[in-house]
Amino acid sequence: MRELILSDITEMGSGLCVIGIEPACEDLFRSIRPIPSRGFAWERSLPHQRGNGVRFASRPTSVSPPHIEDQNTFGLQASGRCLNELELVGILQRAEVSEDLEGLFGCGLHADTNGGNAWVDASQADRSICGCLYRNLRFLVFMDPSRITLRGRLVLTSGETLNSLPVVDREWRRFMDEVMQRLAKAERHIDLDRYLNRFIRPKLLQALHRFARIGLARPGNAHKCWLMLDSLFPQPDASWLDVL
Amino acid sequence: MGPVFDMESALATARSSVANKLSPLSNDDADLVATGALDSMAWVDVLVGIESATGIHDLGNPWPENRPKSIRVLAEMIHEAQNLPAGEEVRADGRLQTRADGRISIAGWAYSLGSRIMSAEQIERDLGLPLHKIRDGAGIHSVCLTVETEDELALAQRASEIALEMADVSIENIDLLVATSTTFLAYPSFAASLHSRLLLPETSGALDVGGACAGLIYSLSVAKSLLSMSSQAVALVVASEVHSRRLNAPDVPGEFRGLFGDGACALVLTKGGDAERNGKLSLREFVSGCSGTFASSLGVKVTANGSLGVEFKGEQLAHAALTQMDRIIGTLETLSSKPRNEVDYFALHQPNPRVVEILAERAKISLDRVPVISRTSGNLGSVTCGVSLCQALTSLRANGVQSQTSLIFMAAVAPGLIWGGTYWN
Repeated sequence: MRELILSDITEMGSGLCVIGIEPACEDLFRSIRPIPSRGFAWERSLPHQRGNGVRFASRPTSVSPPHIEDQNTFGLQASGRCLNELELVGILQRAEVSEDLEGLFGCGLHADTNGGNAWVDASQADRSICGCLYRNLRFLVFMDPSRITLRGRLVLTSGETLNSLPVVDREWRRFMDEVMQRLAKAERHIDLDRYLNRFIRPKLLQALHRFARIGLARPGNAHKCWLMLDSLFPQPDASWLDVL
Repeated sequence: MGPVFDMESALATARSSVANKLSPLSNDDADLVATGALDSMAWVDVLVGIESATGIHDLGNPWPENRPKSIRVLAEMIHEAQNLPAGEEVRADGRLQTRADGRISIAGWAYSLGSRIMSAEQIERDLGLPLHKIRDGAGIHSVCLTVETEDELALAQRASEIALEMADVSIENIDLLVATSTTFLAYPSFAASLHSRLLLPETSGALDVGGACAGLIYSLSVAKSLLSMSSQAVALVVASEVHSRRLNAPDVPGEFRGLFGDGACALVLTKGGDAERNGKLSLREFVSGCSGTFASSLGVKVTANGSLGVEFKGEQLAHAALTQMDRIIGTLETLSSKPRNEVDYFALHQPNPRVVEILAERAKISLDRVPVISRTSGNLGSVTCGVSLCQALTSLRANGVQSQTSLIFMAAVAPGLIWGGTYWN
């Protein structure tokens, strides 16, 4: 049985995508994406949290680049280990990291529109998950009657920017659901933007463990793998809801 | 906002944006999300793409109930946003407001100084200067210097975010960044680097302006011109200088280096007809020039071996600066049709406080109408007159002075001898 510390739990369609880290060599770690018996996604009822240790038995896996971290499993079992957020970020900083955009996935990024999300060519990327420190961050909110879409904009330490990254981080999505329930319907869009960018954003920028994990979606149209914000640290804190 | 769209060109824009995500293109009336042709991520990218192409802010955000997410509805929304009744426009929050006239006014301002304060005595000691040279000779009591974690970008970011907060302007609504810095010597340039650091929209411009100590006034002039000649409505004007690192070289004379501090300032300019009603001061005419006769009084250059060479004729420079600043004030009196004794504040470049005192005496202006920032922060280069302006504006606001009766003169000189001035009322 191999053991992972869960580092990323993201919403993917009606299910969840999970990534964990395991020791690689010396003091370094590597990301592993455990895949359930059927499909790519785990049930939404997955009982594990970020920082939890899980054990799994490997099954033969046919890896399709750039998702080289994929690992078929028979399921995940709690190992009993649990890291707090600071410990988790400390370990993630010793896994796949990059200071600049090209280093994220080992290839150049493309964008179809000014200010739009970026993608990489599936045949050129050499991995599908990478961490980075960020110097600045802003939230973008897109609303329609049925749902809210949260996106992030980041500046890396290299000074390069990532625009309109879909936030797929489960905890941030859940937090947004809580926020939406507490905001009055009138002018909700404006209130939400103010809350995120004037109240939440400074809390993230003041934190010492500012860190993001950027993931790649599965290749789609024209072999494009779109970037996603898989994990955003600090993670949302329930006490931040008290002001609403 | 960008060009006005008729329905056909709006349809073409909508189709083109959807085509980036979907091939082959569906018919114009199909609900792209409900039919599964686009997922929510792709839909948001379509909206972002249209915003980028049209300059419309927050298109379809929030998306109205009971309207399908189709190409035709996208086109209708582009058309509606770009073809509002005369005199109206869409605010960032989606509501209509009266279209602005051409007046450029200041909506927010802020400055940020280096966090480390060094006394005049310590400067004199560290640089091996005669006792009291800085405190009594130049009139500087202390200078503000950066700490390790601060640089031009960090100071500028701090000032910009406070100014935008005051102006209640969202980052997404900034059309143009005009920035100046003499000490930032890298590419990407200061404006480009700050644009990224602030996460300004990719469709907002970034422009560097030179001018050294007069750089902020020149930046204001450029920003006003660009706002006036376009449909752009909001400009962020920033100056930032970190002299302590640039001048930290063995060949730089101590009596020159000891005068300087580090800081940044940010001004938010908006084009809006409600300026007077809201008590905002408007940016008026400019005066500028270059007097080559005094070009040799101060020169800074990077020598062949990479070190910094400074040619500094202090007395000649002070004399030239005093004469020119007095002339600028005289010209601003003519342009504003107001005598200098009716000016509330003078936001001036300050080589050092002693020069300001002499200027005040010579120009017959009361020293209490000149916010003398250089006494406690040192000469901040292009930032000096900006911080002085910020203090003047804050004081006017605190005293409840109405914009209709307020008047601020700005003047600065720089090596060359470049000079510039403007006024606000």
